[in-house]
Amino acid sequence: MNPQHPPEKFILPIGPQHPALKEPGHFEFTIDGEIVKDATVRLGYVHRGIEKGTEARNYNQDLYLLERICGICSHVHATAFALGVEKLAGVTVPPRAQAIRTLVAELERVHSHLLWLGVCAHEGGFDTLFMYSWRDRETVMDILEGLTGNRVNYSANIMGGVKVDVDDKTADTIRHGIDYLEGRTHHYMKVVTTDETFLGRTRDIGTMTYEQAIRLDAVGPTARASGVRADVRVDAPYAGYPDFPVDLITETAGDLAARFVVRINELFVSYQLIRTILDKLPPGEISVRIPRRIPEGETISRVEAPRGELFYFIRSNGTDKPDRVKVRTPSLCNWASVMELAVGHKLADMPMILAGIDPCFSCNDRLIRVNRRGDSQLWSWEDLRRYGIEQYK
Amino acid sequence: MDTDTILQNAETLLNPWVTEAKRPEVNRLDIYISASNLLAAVQSLVDAHWGHLSAITGLDRPALAPMQPAAKPGEPAAAISATDSPTPEGKIEVLYHFCQGPAILTLRVGLPYSQTANARMVIPSICAAAPAASLYERELMEMFGIDVEGTPVTQKLVLPDDWPEGVYPLRKSFTGFPDKSEA
Repeated sequence: MNPQHPPEKFILPIGPQHPALKEPGHFEFTIDGEIVKDATVRLGYVHRGIEKGTEARNYNQDLYLLERICGICSHVHATAFALGVEKLAGVTVPPRAQAIRTLVAELERVHSHLLWLGVCAHEGGFDTLFMYSWRDRETVMDILEGLTGNRVNYSANIMGGVKVDVDDKTADTIRHGIDYLEGRTHHYMKVVTTDETFLGRTRDIGTMTYEQAIRLDAVGPTARASGVRADVRVDAPYAGYPDFPVDLITETAGDLAARFVVRINELFVSYQLIRTILDKLPPGEISVRIPRRIPEGETISRVEAPRGELFYFIRSNGTDKPDRVKVRTPSLCNWASVMELAVGHKLADMPMILAGIDPCFSCNDRLIRVNRRGDSQLWSWEDLRRYGIEQYK
Repeated sequence: MDTDTILQNAETLLNPWVTEAKRPEVNRLDIYISASNLLAAVQSLVDAHWGHLSAITGLDRPALAPMQPAAKPGEPAAAISATDSPTPEGKIEVLYHFCQGPAILTLRVGLPYSQTANARMVIPSICAAAPAASLYERELMEMFGIDVEGTPVTQKLVLPDDWPEGVYPLRKSFTGFPDKSEA
Protein backbone atom coordinates (compact mmCIF):
# COMPACT_ATOMS: atom_id res chain seq x y z
CA MET A 1 0.00 0.00 0.00
CA ASN A 2 1.39 3.34 -0.99
CA PRO A 3 0.16 6.09 1.31
CA GLN A 4 1.05 8.72 -1.34
CA HIS A 5 -1.40 7.18 -3.73
CA PRO A 6 -4.28 9.58 -4.33
CA PRO A 7 -7.60 8.29 -3.11
CA GLU A 8 -9.34 6.52 -5.95
CA LYS A 9 -12.95 6.91 -6.77
CA PHE A 10 -15.02 3.79 -6.73
CA ILE A 11 -17.66 4.01 -9.40
CA LEU A 12 -20.52 1.60 -9.31
CA PRO A 13 -22.34 1.29 -12.62
CA ILE A 14 -25.96 0.30 -12.38
CA GLY A 15 -28.00 -0.62 -15.42
CA PRO A 16 -29.09 -0.25 -18.14
CA GLN A 17 -30.99 -3.34 -17.07
CA HIS A 18 -31.93 -1.73 -13.86
CA PRO A 19 -32.36 -3.89 -10.77
CA ALA A 20 -34.89 -1.56 -9.19
CA LEU A 21 -37.01 -0.44 -12.08
CA LYS A 22 -38.70 -2.26 -14.87
CA GLU A 23 -37.34 0.05 -17.51
CA PRO A 24 -33.78 0.67 -18.73
CA GLY A 25 -31.62 3.54 -17.48
CA HIS A 26 -27.92 3.69 -16.70
CA PHE A 27 -26.58 5.26 -13.54
CA GLU A 28 -23.07 5.68 -12.26
CA PHE A 29 -22.75 6.16 -8.56
CA THR A 30 -19.45 7.29 -7.14
CA ILE A 31 -19.35 5.75 -3.70
CA ASP A 32 -17.25 6.00 -0.58
CA GLY A 33 -18.02 2.88 1.42
CA GLU A 34 -21.79 2.82 1.58
CA ILE A 35 -22.28 6.53 0.94
CA VAL A 36 -23.02 7.93 -2.50
CA LYS A 37 -20.77 10.88 -3.39
CA ASP A 38 -21.84 11.60 -6.94
CA ALA A 39 -24.33 10.35 -9.47
CA THR A 40 -24.81 10.62 -13.24
CA VAL A 41 -27.50 9.36 -15.56
CA ARG A 42 -27.53 8.12 -19.16
CA LEU A 43 -30.91 7.72 -20.77
CA GLY A 44 -32.00 6.84 -24.25
CA TYR A 45 -32.31 3.07 -24.08
CA VAL A 46 -35.93 3.36 -25.11
CA HIS A 47 -35.49 6.37 -27.40
CA ARG A 48 -37.72 5.86 -30.41
CA GLY A 49 -37.44 9.10 -32.34
CA ILE A 50 -41.08 9.99 -31.91
CA GLU A 51 -40.60 13.76 -32.25
CA LYS A 52 -39.03 13.24 -35.68
CA GLY A 53 -41.71 10.68 -36.50
CA THR A 54 -44.48 13.21 -36.01
CA GLU A 55 -43.14 15.35 -38.85
CA ALA A 56 -43.74 12.55 -41.37
CA ARG A 57 -47.31 11.74 -40.30
CA ASN A 58 -50.55 13.61 -40.38
CA TYR A 59 -52.24 14.99 -37.28
CA ASN A 60 -54.56 12.01 -36.82
CA GLN A 61 -51.70 9.51 -37.11
CA ASP A 62 -49.65 11.62 -34.72
CA LEU A 63 -52.37 11.41 -32.10
CA TYR A 64 -51.95 7.60 -32.07
CA LEU A 65 -48.16 7.85 -32.17
CA LEU A 66 -47.93 10.37 -29.34
CA GLU A 67 -50.32 8.39 -27.18
CA ARG A 68 -47.72 5.61 -27.35
CA ILE A 69 -44.96 7.73 -25.82
CA CYS A 70 -45.95 6.34 -22.46
CA GLY A 71 -47.76 3.18 -21.47
CA ILE A 72 -48.83 4.61 -18.13
CA CYS A 73 -49.94 8.14 -18.82
CA SER A 74 -50.90 7.72 -22.47
CA HIS A 75 -54.08 9.77 -22.21
CA VAL A 76 -52.40 13.00 -21.10
CA HIS A 77 -50.11 12.93 -24.14
CA ALA A 78 -53.04 12.59 -26.51
CA THR A 79 -54.93 15.28 -24.59
CA ALA A 80 -52.06 17.76 -24.68
CA PHE A 81 -51.58 17.25 -28.42
CA ALA A 82 -55.29 17.37 -29.26
CA LEU A 83 -55.82 20.55 -27.19
CA GLY A 84 -52.91 22.25 -28.96
CA VAL A 85 -54.00 21.28 -32.46
CA GLU A 86 -57.60 22.27 -31.74
CA LYS A 87 -56.33 25.68 -30.61
CA LEU A 88 -54.36 26.06 -33.87
CA ALA A 89 -57.41 25.02 -35.90
CA GLY A 90 -59.65 27.42 -33.97
CA VAL A 91 -62.10 24.67 -33.09
CA THR A 92 -64.18 24.69 -29.92
CA VAL A 93 -64.65 21.25 -28.44
CA PRO A 94 -68.06 20.51 -26.81
CA PRO A 95 -68.09 20.70 -22.98
CA ARG A 96 -69.19 17.07 -22.67
CA ALA A 97 -66.08 15.94 -24.57
CA GLN A 98 -63.84 18.09 -22.36
CA ALA A 99 -65.48 16.63 -19.24
CA ILE A 100 -64.96 13.07 -20.47
CA ARG A 101 -61.31 13.88 -21.25
CA THR A 102 -60.95 15.08 -17.69
CA LEU A 103 -62.72 12.00 -16.34
CA VAL A 104 -60.35 9.65 -18.19
CA ALA A 105 -57.37 11.77 -17.11
CA GLU A 106 -58.33 11.43 -13.45
CA LEU A 107 -58.96 7.68 -13.79
CA GLU A 108 -55.52 7.48 -15.35
CA ARG A 109 -54.03 9.40 -12.44
CA VAL A 110 -55.61 6.91 -10.02
CA HIS A 111 -54.12 3.98 -11.94
CA SER A 112 -50.73 5.68 -12.18
CA HIS A 113 -50.51 6.64 -8.50
CA LEU A 114 -51.58 3.14 -7.38
CA LEU A 115 -48.98 1.65 -9.70
CA TRP A 116 -46.36 3.92 -8.18
CA LEU A 117 -47.44 3.05 -4.64
CA GLY A 118 -46.90 -0.63 -5.44
CA VAL A 119 -43.53 -0.14 -7.13
CA CYS A 120 -42.20 2.10 -4.39
CA ALA A 121 -43.40 -0.30 -1.66
CA HIS A 122 -41.64 -3.12 -3.53
CA GLU A 123 -38.39 -1.11 -3.64
CA GLY A 124 -38.72 -0.59 0.08
CA GLY A 125 -39.02 -4.32 0.66
CA PHE A 126 -42.69 -4.11 1.58
CA ASP A 127 -44.06 -6.60 -0.90
CA THR A 128 -47.35 -7.09 0.88
CA LEU A 129 -48.29 -3.48 0.20
CA PHE A 130 -47.10 -3.94 -3.38
CA MET A 131 -49.36 -6.96 -3.91
CA TYR A 132 -52.42 -5.35 -2.32
CA SER A 133 -52.12 -2.01 -4.09
CA TRP A 134 -51.71 -3.70 -7.45
CA ARG A 135 -54.66 -5.97 -6.76
CA ASP A 136 -56.78 -2.92 -6.05
CA ARG A 137 -55.41 -1.13 -9.07
CA GLU A 138 -57.14 -3.77 -11.19
CA THR A 139 -60.41 -2.09 -10.19
CA VAL A 140 -59.53 1.10 -12.01
CA MET A 141 -58.00 -0.87 -14.91
CA ASP A 142 -61.32 -2.65 -15.33
CA ILE A 143 -63.13 0.69 -15.25
CA LEU A 144 -60.85 2.06 -17.96
CA GLU A 145 -61.28 -1.07 -20.05
CA GLY A 146 -65.04 -0.93 -19.66
CA LEU A 147 -65.11 2.72 -20.62
CA THR A 148 -62.71 2.76 -23.57
CA GLY A 149 -62.07 -0.86 -24.52
CA ASN A 150 -58.42 -0.78 -23.45
CA ARG A 151 -56.49 -1.14 -20.21
CA VAL A 152 -53.70 1.13 -21.50
CA ASN A 153 -53.44 3.38 -24.57
CA TYR A 154 -57.15 4.01 -24.24
CA SER A 155 -57.45 6.16 -27.37
CA ALA A 156 -60.30 8.06 -25.77
CA ASN A 157 -59.31 11.23 -27.65
CA ILE A 158 -59.88 12.08 -31.25
CA MET A 159 -59.14 15.39 -32.91
CA GLY A 160 -62.08 17.57 -31.93
CA GLY A 161 -63.38 15.55 -28.99
CA VAL A 162 -63.58 12.04 -27.62
CA LYS A 163 -64.83 8.78 -29.06
CA VAL A 164 -66.35 7.26 -25.93
CA ASP A 165 -69.49 8.40 -24.17
CA VAL A 166 -70.53 7.68 -20.60
CA ASP A 167 -74.00 6.21 -20.08
CA ASP A 168 -75.79 5.69 -16.74
CA LYS A 169 -74.72 2.09 -16.45
CA THR A 170 -71.04 2.90 -16.98
CA ALA A 171 -71.31 5.80 -14.54
CA ASP A 172 -72.69 3.47 -11.85
CA THR A 173 -69.90 0.96 -12.42
CA ILE A 174 -67.32 3.74 -12.08
CA ARG A 175 -68.94 5.09 -8.86
CA HIS A 176 -69.00 1.61 -7.38
CA GLY A 177 -65.32 1.03 -8.18
CA ILE A 178 -64.31 4.45 -6.84
CA ASP A 179 -66.14 3.80 -3.54
CA TYR A 180 -64.19 0.58 -3.07
CA LEU A 181 -60.88 2.26 -3.94
CA GLU A 182 -61.51 5.15 -1.57
CA GLY A 183 -61.90 2.74 1.34
CA ARG A 184 -58.73 0.93 0.39
CA THR A 185 -56.81 4.20 -0.02
CA HIS A 186 -57.68 5.24 3.55
CA HIS A 187 -56.08 1.98 4.62
CA TYR A 188 -52.93 2.68 2.55
CA MET A 189 -52.64 6.15 4.03
CA LYS A 190 -52.71 4.60 7.50
CA VAL A 191 -50.06 2.04 6.52
CA VAL A 192 -47.54 4.45 4.99
CA THR A 193 -47.88 6.98 7.82
CA THR A 194 -47.86 4.58 10.80
CA ASP A 195 -45.87 1.47 9.87
CA GLU A 196 -42.58 2.05 11.70
CA THR A 197 -40.54 -0.32 9.54
CA PHE A 198 -41.71 1.38 6.38
CA LEU A 199 -41.25 4.87 7.81
CA GLY A 200 -37.68 3.86 8.58
CA ARG A 201 -37.17 3.61 4.84
CA THR A 202 -38.97 6.83 3.90
CA ARG A 203 -38.74 9.42 6.67
CA ASP A 204 -35.88 11.91 6.11
CA ILE A 205 -34.71 9.97 3.05
CA GLY A 206 -34.11 11.85 -0.20
CA THR A 207 -35.22 15.13 1.33
CA MET A 208 -35.56 18.00 -1.13
CA THR A 209 -36.03 21.46 0.35
CA TYR A 210 -38.34 24.04 -1.18
CA GLU A 211 -35.31 26.04 -2.41
CA GLN A 212 -33.83 22.96 -4.09
CA ALA A 213 -37.12 22.12 -5.73
CA ILE A 214 -37.33 25.64 -7.17
CA ARG A 215 -33.70 25.75 -8.28
CA LEU A 216 -33.83 22.30 -9.91
CA ASP A 217 -37.21 22.98 -11.52
CA ALA A 218 -38.83 19.90 -10.05
CA VAL A 219 -42.44 19.32 -11.10
CA GLY A 220 -45.51 17.40 -10.08
CA PRO A 221 -46.01 15.49 -6.82
CA THR A 222 -42.20 15.46 -6.31
CA ALA A 223 -42.20 19.26 -6.14
CA ARG A 224 -45.48 19.53 -4.24
CA ALA A 225 -44.09 17.25 -1.49
CA SER A 226 -41.51 20.02 -0.95
CA GLY A 227 -44.14 22.72 -0.66
CA VAL A 228 -44.08 24.04 -4.23
CA ARG A 229 -47.56 25.24 -5.11
CA ALA A 230 -47.63 24.24 -8.76
CA ASP A 231 -50.20 22.18 -10.59
CA VAL A 232 -51.19 22.95 -14.18
CA ARG A 233 -54.76 21.87 -13.41
CA VAL A 234 -54.94 24.76 -10.92
CA ASP A 235 -52.57 27.32 -12.47
CA ALA A 236 -53.79 27.13 -16.04
CA PRO A 237 -56.92 24.97 -16.16
CA TYR A 238 -57.45 23.13 -19.47
CA ALA A 239 -60.01 20.72 -20.92
CA GLY A 240 -62.73 20.25 -18.28
CA TYR A 241 -60.79 21.68 -15.31
CA PRO A 242 -62.22 25.21 -15.59
CA ASP A 243 -65.64 23.69 -14.82
CA PHE A 244 -64.40 21.03 -12.44
CA PRO A 245 -61.70 22.66 -10.27
CA VAL A 246 -59.29 20.56 -8.20
CA ASP A 247 -57.68 21.16 -4.82
CA LEU A 248 -53.95 21.72 -4.73
CA ILE A 249 -52.24 19.17 -2.48
CA THR A 250 -48.90 20.03 -0.91
CA GLU A 251 -46.69 18.82 1.92
CA THR A 252 -43.70 20.51 3.49
CA ALA A 253 -41.32 17.77 4.64
CA GLY A 254 -39.95 17.06 1.15
CA ASP A 255 -38.79 13.53 2.02
CA LEU A 256 -39.98 10.22 0.59
CA ALA A 257 -42.68 9.94 3.23
CA ALA A 258 -44.11 13.30 2.10
CA ARG A 259 -44.19 12.09 -1.51
CA PHE A 260 -46.29 9.13 -0.37
CA VAL A 261 -48.68 11.42 1.48
CA VAL A 262 -49.01 13.85 -1.44
CA ARG A 263 -49.78 11.12 -3.96
CA ILE A 264 -52.28 9.37 -1.69
CA ASN A 265 -54.03 12.67 -0.94
CA GLU A 266 -54.16 13.32 -4.67
CA LEU A 267 -55.96 10.01 -5.03
CA PHE A 268 -58.72 11.32 -2.74
CA VAL A 269 -58.96 14.51 -4.80
CA SER A 270 -59.25 12.43 -7.97
CA TYR A 271 -61.98 10.22 -6.49
CA GLN A 272 -63.99 13.28 -5.54
CA LEU A 273 -63.50 14.88 -8.94
CA ILE A 274 -64.54 11.69 -10.75
CA ARG A 275 -67.81 11.62 -8.76
CA THR A 276 -68.49 15.31 -9.47
CA ILE A 277 -67.91 14.87 -13.19
CA LEU A 278 -70.22 11.86 -13.32
CA ASP A 279 -72.95 13.77 -11.44
CA LYS A 280 -72.70 16.93 -13.53
CA LEU A 281 -71.71 15.64 -16.93
CA PRO A 282 -72.82 18.31 -19.42
CA PRO A 283 -75.21 17.05 -22.10
CA GLY A 284 -74.53 17.37 -25.80
CA GLU A 285 -72.24 16.22 -28.53
CA ILE A 286 -68.92 14.52 -27.83
CA SER A 287 -66.96 15.71 -30.87
CA VAL A 288 -66.79 18.28 -33.65
CA ARG A 289 -65.26 18.07 -37.07
CA ILE A 290 -61.76 19.42 -37.46
CA PRO A 291 -60.03 20.26 -40.76
CA ARG A 292 -57.31 17.96 -42.04
CA ARG A 293 -55.05 20.89 -42.84
CA ILE A 294 -54.16 22.98 -39.83
CA PRO A 295 -53.52 26.71 -40.43
CA GLU A 296 -49.99 27.93 -39.91
CA GLY A 297 -49.12 28.81 -36.35
CA GLU A 298 -47.36 27.93 -33.13
CA THR A 299 -48.89 26.95 -29.86
CA ILE A 300 -47.93 25.61 -26.48
CA SER A 301 -50.08 23.13 -24.65
CA ARG A 302 -49.48 22.20 -21.02
CA VAL A 303 -51.27 19.55 -18.99
CA GLU A 304 -50.72 18.01 -15.57
CA ALA A 305 -49.64 14.40 -16.08
CA PRO A 306 -49.60 12.09 -13.03
CA ARG A 307 -45.87 12.87 -12.73
CA GLY A 308 -46.12 16.64 -13.24
CA GLU A 309 -46.19 19.26 -15.93
CA LEU A 310 -46.24 17.85 -19.47
CA PHE A 311 -45.21 20.40 -22.09
CA TYR A 312 -46.05 20.34 -25.81
CA PHE A 313 -44.84 22.85 -28.38
CA ILE A 314 -46.56 22.46 -31.74
CA ARG A 315 -45.74 24.35 -34.93
CA SER A 316 -48.02 23.90 -37.91
CA ASN A 317 -47.28 24.97 -41.47
CA GLY A 318 -50.64 24.90 -43.19
CA THR A 319 -50.40 21.28 -44.32
CA ASP A 320 -51.87 18.13 -42.76
CA LYS A 321 -48.55 17.36 -41.03
CA PRO A 322 -46.97 19.33 -38.17
CA ASP A 323 -43.71 21.16 -38.81
CA ARG A 324 -42.42 20.42 -35.32
CA VAL A 325 -43.71 18.76 -32.18
CA LYS A 326 -41.61 19.17 -29.06
CA VAL A 327 -42.46 17.03 -26.05
CA ARG A 328 -40.99 17.67 -22.63
CA THR A 329 -42.11 15.06 -20.16
CA PRO A 330 -42.16 15.51 -16.38
CA SER A 331 -39.70 12.67 -15.68
CA LEU A 332 -36.95 14.56 -17.52
CA CYS A 333 -37.41 17.54 -15.21
CA ASN A 334 -37.14 15.44 -12.10
CA TRP A 335 -33.93 13.57 -13.01
CA ALA A 336 -31.85 16.58 -12.04
CA SER A 337 -33.34 16.46 -8.55
CA VAL A 338 -32.62 12.72 -8.13
CA MET A 339 -29.00 13.10 -9.15
CA GLU A 340 -28.53 15.79 -6.54
CA LEU A 341 -30.60 14.15 -3.79
CA ALA A 342 -28.72 10.85 -4.11
CA VAL A 343 -25.53 12.43 -2.77
CA GLY A 344 -24.95 11.66 0.89
CA HIS A 345 -27.37 8.77 1.08
CA LYS A 346 -26.62 5.08 1.48
CA LEU A 347 -26.44 2.99 -1.65
CA ALA A 348 -29.25 0.86 -0.27
CA ASP A 349 -31.58 3.86 -0.38
CA MET A 350 -31.00 4.44 -4.11
CA PRO A 351 -33.79 2.23 -5.42
CA MET A 352 -36.36 4.10 -3.38
CA ILE A 353 -34.98 7.53 -4.17
CA LEU A 354 -35.00 6.66 -7.86
CA ALA A 355 -38.50 5.28 -7.66
CA GLY A 356 -39.61 8.23 -5.51
CA ILE A 357 -40.00 10.59 -8.45
CA ASP A 358 -42.01 7.93 -10.27
CA PRO A 359 -39.66 7.97 -13.25
CA CYS A 360 -40.98 6.92 -16.60
CA PHE A 361 -38.26 6.02 -19.07
CA SER A 362 -40.45 5.56 -22.09
CA CYS A 363 -41.62 9.07 -21.52
CA ASN A 364 -38.25 10.70 -21.45
CA ASP A 365 -36.58 8.43 -24.00
CA ARG A 366 -39.23 8.11 -26.55
CA LEU A 367 -35.14 3.18 -29.59
CA ILE A 368 -37.19 0.24 -29.44
CA ARG A 369 -35.96 -2.69 -27.40
CA VAL A 370 -36.04 -5.91 -29.32
CA ASN A 371 -36.02 -9.24 -27.50
CA ARG A 372 -35.38 -12.01 -29.94
CA ARG A 373 -35.32 -15.46 -28.42
CA GLY A 374 -31.91 -16.86 -27.48
CA ASP A 375 -30.15 -13.79 -28.76
CA SER A 376 -28.21 -11.79 -26.26
CA GLN A 377 -25.52 -9.89 -28.15
CA LEU A 378 -25.27 -6.14 -28.12
CA TRP A 379 -27.28 -4.62 -30.92
CA SER A 380 -25.85 -1.76 -32.88
CA TRP A 381 -27.98 0.94 -34.38
CA GLU A 382 -27.47 -0.67 -37.83
CA ASP A 383 -28.66 -4.07 -36.54
CA LEU A 384 -31.73 -2.51 -35.04
CA ARG A 385 -32.51 -0.67 -38.23
CA ARG A 386 -32.12 -3.79 -40.36
CA TYR A 387 -34.25 -5.77 -37.94
CA GLY A 388 -36.94 -3.15 -38.08
CA ILE A 389 -36.98 -3.07 -41.87
CA GLU A 390 -37.16 -6.89 -42.11
CA GLN A 391 -39.82 -7.09 -39.45
CA TYR A 392 -42.22 -4.70 -41.08
CA LYS A 393 -41.64 -5.52 -44.77
CA MET B 1 -52.16 38.73 -10.63
CA ASP B 2 -53.66 38.20 -14.03
CA THR B 3 -51.85 36.82 -17.02
CA ASP B 4 -51.37 40.24 -18.62
CA THR B 5 -49.64 41.71 -15.58
CA ILE B 6 -47.39 38.67 -15.26
CA LEU B 7 -46.33 38.97 -18.88
CA GLN B 8 -45.82 42.74 -18.61
CA ASN B 9 -43.54 42.16 -15.63
CA ALA B 10 -41.48 39.81 -17.76
CA GLU B 11 -41.29 42.33 -20.58
CA THR B 12 -40.12 45.02 -18.17
CA LEU B 13 -37.48 42.70 -16.75
CA LEU B 14 -36.14 41.79 -20.16
CA ASN B 15 -36.38 45.30 -21.59
CA PRO B 16 -32.61 45.90 -21.94
CA TRP B 17 -32.17 42.93 -24.29
CA VAL B 18 -35.33 42.80 -26.34
CA THR B 19 -34.97 43.08 -30.10
CA GLU B 20 -38.60 42.24 -30.79
CA ALA B 21 -41.59 41.25 -28.69
CA LYS B 22 -44.75 39.48 -29.81
CA ARG B 23 -47.95 38.25 -28.20
CA PRO B 24 -48.90 35.23 -30.32
CA GLU B 25 -51.64 34.09 -27.91
CA VAL B 26 -53.33 35.69 -24.91
CA ASN B 27 -51.23 33.73 -22.43
CA ARG B 28 -47.96 33.90 -24.35
CA LEU B 29 -45.16 36.41 -24.84
CA ASP B 30 -42.36 35.78 -27.36
CA ILE B 31 -39.17 37.78 -26.89
CA TYR B 32 -36.50 37.75 -29.57
CA ILE B 33 -32.99 38.24 -28.19
CA SER B 34 -29.45 37.71 -29.43
CA ALA B 35 -27.34 34.78 -28.24
CA SER B 36 -24.86 37.06 -26.46
CA ASN B 37 -27.61 38.44 -24.20
CA LEU B 38 -29.19 35.08 -23.43
CA LEU B 39 -27.49 34.29 -20.13
CA ALA B 40 -28.03 37.79 -18.75
CA ALA B 41 -31.70 37.67 -19.65
CA VAL B 42 -32.20 34.26 -18.05
CA GLN B 43 -30.32 35.39 -14.95
CA SER B 44 -32.61 38.39 -14.55
CA LEU B 45 -35.68 36.11 -14.75
CA VAL B 46 -34.22 33.74 -12.18
CA ASP B 47 -33.22 36.61 -9.86
CA ALA B 48 -36.74 38.01 -10.02
CA HIS B 49 -38.22 34.53 -9.44
CA TRP B 50 -40.21 34.87 -12.65
CA GLY B 51 -41.56 31.40 -13.34
CA HIS B 52 -39.57 28.25 -14.01
CA LEU B 53 -37.72 26.95 -17.05
CA SER B 54 -40.20 24.55 -18.57
CA ALA B 55 -38.45 23.37 -21.72
CA ILE B 56 -35.93 24.19 -24.44
CA THR B 57 -37.17 23.63 -27.99
CA GLY B 58 -34.98 23.51 -31.08
CA LEU B 59 -36.65 24.57 -34.29
CA ASP B 60 -34.99 24.00 -37.65
CA ARG B 61 -36.16 26.44 -40.28
CA PRO B 62 -34.18 25.87 -43.45
CA ALA B 63 -34.23 28.47 -46.19
CA LEU B 64 -36.78 27.80 -48.87
CA ALA B 65 -35.25 26.75 -52.14
CA PRO B 66 -35.46 29.71 -54.57
CA MET B 67 -38.03 28.02 -56.79
CA GLN B 68 -40.06 26.72 -53.88
CA PRO B 69 -43.37 28.60 -53.99
CA ALA B 70 -44.59 26.53 -56.91
CA ALA B 71 -47.61 25.19 -55.06
CA LYS B 72 -49.10 22.11 -56.60
CA PRO B 73 -52.44 22.72 -58.21
CA GLY B 74 -55.28 22.42 -55.74
CA GLU B 75 -53.07 23.03 -52.72
CA PRO B 76 -52.71 26.25 -50.78
CA ALA B 77 -49.45 28.03 -51.46
CA ALA B 78 -46.65 27.03 -49.13
CA ALA B 79 -47.22 29.10 -46.05
CA ILE B 80 -43.98 28.54 -44.19
CA SER B 81 -42.33 31.85 -45.04
CA ALA B 82 -44.60 34.66 -43.96
CA THR B 83 -45.15 35.09 -40.19
CA ASP B 84 -41.76 35.87 -38.73
CA SER B 85 -39.22 38.16 -40.27
CA PRO B 86 -38.54 36.30 -43.49
CA THR B 87 -34.93 35.27 -43.61
CA PRO B 88 -33.49 34.31 -46.95
CA GLU B 89 -30.93 32.30 -45.03
CA GLY B 90 -32.08 29.28 -43.07
CA LYS B 91 -31.69 29.25 -39.31
CA ILE B 92 -32.15 27.17 -36.25
CA GLU B 93 -34.16 28.81 -33.56
CA VAL B 94 -33.69 27.88 -29.93
CA LEU B 95 -36.71 28.55 -27.76
CA TYR B 96 -36.47 28.81 -24.00
CA HIS B 97 -39.89 28.43 -22.45
CA PHE B 98 -40.57 29.81 -18.99
CA CYS B 99 -43.91 29.34 -17.27
CA GLN B 100 -45.44 31.33 -14.45
CA GLY B 101 -48.96 30.32 -13.54
CA PRO B 102 -50.98 30.47 -16.76
CA ALA B 103 -48.43 32.70 -18.52
CA ILE B 104 -45.76 31.36 -20.87
CA LEU B 105 -42.70 33.38 -21.84
CA THR B 106 -40.54 32.22 -24.73
CA LEU B 107 -37.05 33.59 -25.33
CA ARG B 108 -36.22 33.07 -29.00
CA VAL B 109 -32.62 32.99 -30.19
CA GLY B 110 -32.01 32.64 -33.94
CA LEU B 111 -28.82 30.94 -35.13
CA PRO B 112 -28.33 31.43 -38.87
CA TYR B 113 -26.80 28.52 -40.81
CA SER B 114 -23.09 29.28 -40.99
CA GLN B 115 -21.55 30.25 -44.28
CA THR B 116 -19.09 27.40 -44.30
CA ALA B 117 -20.05 23.82 -43.81
CA ASN B 118 -17.57 23.24 -41.01
CA ALA B 119 -18.36 26.20 -38.83
CA ARG B 120 -20.41 25.33 -35.78
CA MET B 121 -23.45 26.97 -34.34
CA VAL B 122 -22.72 28.17 -30.87
CA ILE B 123 -25.03 29.26 -28.10
CA PRO B 124 -24.07 29.99 -24.49
CA SER B 125 -25.19 27.64 -21.75
CA ILE B 126 -27.75 28.95 -19.27
CA CYS B 127 -26.87 26.34 -16.62
CA ALA B 128 -25.11 29.00 -14.51
CA ALA B 129 -28.52 30.60 -13.97
CA ALA B 130 -30.81 27.58 -14.34
CA PRO B 131 -29.04 24.31 -13.44
CA ALA B 132 -32.01 22.24 -14.60
CA ALA B 133 -31.20 23.24 -18.18
CA SER B 134 -28.34 20.70 -18.31
CA LEU B 135 -30.44 17.80 -19.59
CA TYR B 136 -32.28 20.01 -22.09
CA GLU B 137 -29.00 21.41 -23.42
CA ARG B 138 -27.59 17.89 -23.85
CA GLU B 139 -30.66 17.00 -25.88
CA LEU B 140 -30.29 20.14 -27.97
CA MET B 141 -26.63 19.36 -28.74
CA GLU B 142 -27.42 15.80 -29.88
CA MET B 143 -30.54 16.51 -31.83
CA PHE B 144 -29.59 19.76 -33.58
CA GLY B 145 -25.78 19.86 -33.54
CA ILE B 146 -25.55 23.12 -31.66
CA ASP B 147 -22.50 23.70 -29.45
CA VAL B 148 -23.72 24.80 -26.08
CA GLU B 149 -20.76 26.70 -24.71
CA GLY B 150 -20.05 26.11 -21.03
CA THR B 151 -22.64 23.41 -20.39
CA PRO B 152 -21.39 21.15 -17.57
CA VAL B 153 -21.99 17.72 -19.15
CA THR B 154 -21.47 17.05 -22.85
CA GLN B 155 -21.94 13.28 -22.91
CA LYS B 156 -24.68 11.76 -25.00
CA LEU B 157 -28.03 11.68 -23.31
CA VAL B 158 -30.44 9.83 -25.56
CA LEU B 159 -28.83 8.76 -28.85
CA PRO B 160 -27.05 5.35 -29.08
CA ASP B 161 -23.29 5.14 -28.39
CA ASP B 162 -22.52 4.21 -32.02
CA TRP B 163 -24.58 7.01 -33.52
CA PRO B 164 -22.46 8.59 -36.31
CA GLU B 165 -20.75 11.92 -35.63
CA GLY B 166 -22.25 14.93 -37.27
CA VAL B 167 -25.70 13.45 -37.85
CA TYR B 168 -28.38 15.46 -36.14
CA PRO B 169 -31.76 13.74 -36.34
CA LEU B 170 -34.07 16.65 -35.68
CA ARG B 171 -32.63 18.82 -38.43
CA LYS B 172 -34.88 18.92 -41.45
CA SER B 173 -31.96 17.81 -43.63
CA PHE B 174 -31.95 14.44 -41.83
CA THR B 175 -34.36 12.11 -43.57
CA GLY B 176 -33.11 8.76 -42.32
CA PHE B 177 -30.15 6.60 -43.22
CA PRO B 178 -29.77 5.10 -46.71
CA ASP B 179 -31.04 1.54 -46.73
CA LYS B 180 -27.83 -0.53 -46.81
CA SER B 181 -29.61 -3.88 -46.85
CA GLU B 182 -30.93 -3.18 -50.34
CA ALA B 183 -27.68 -1.82 -51.70
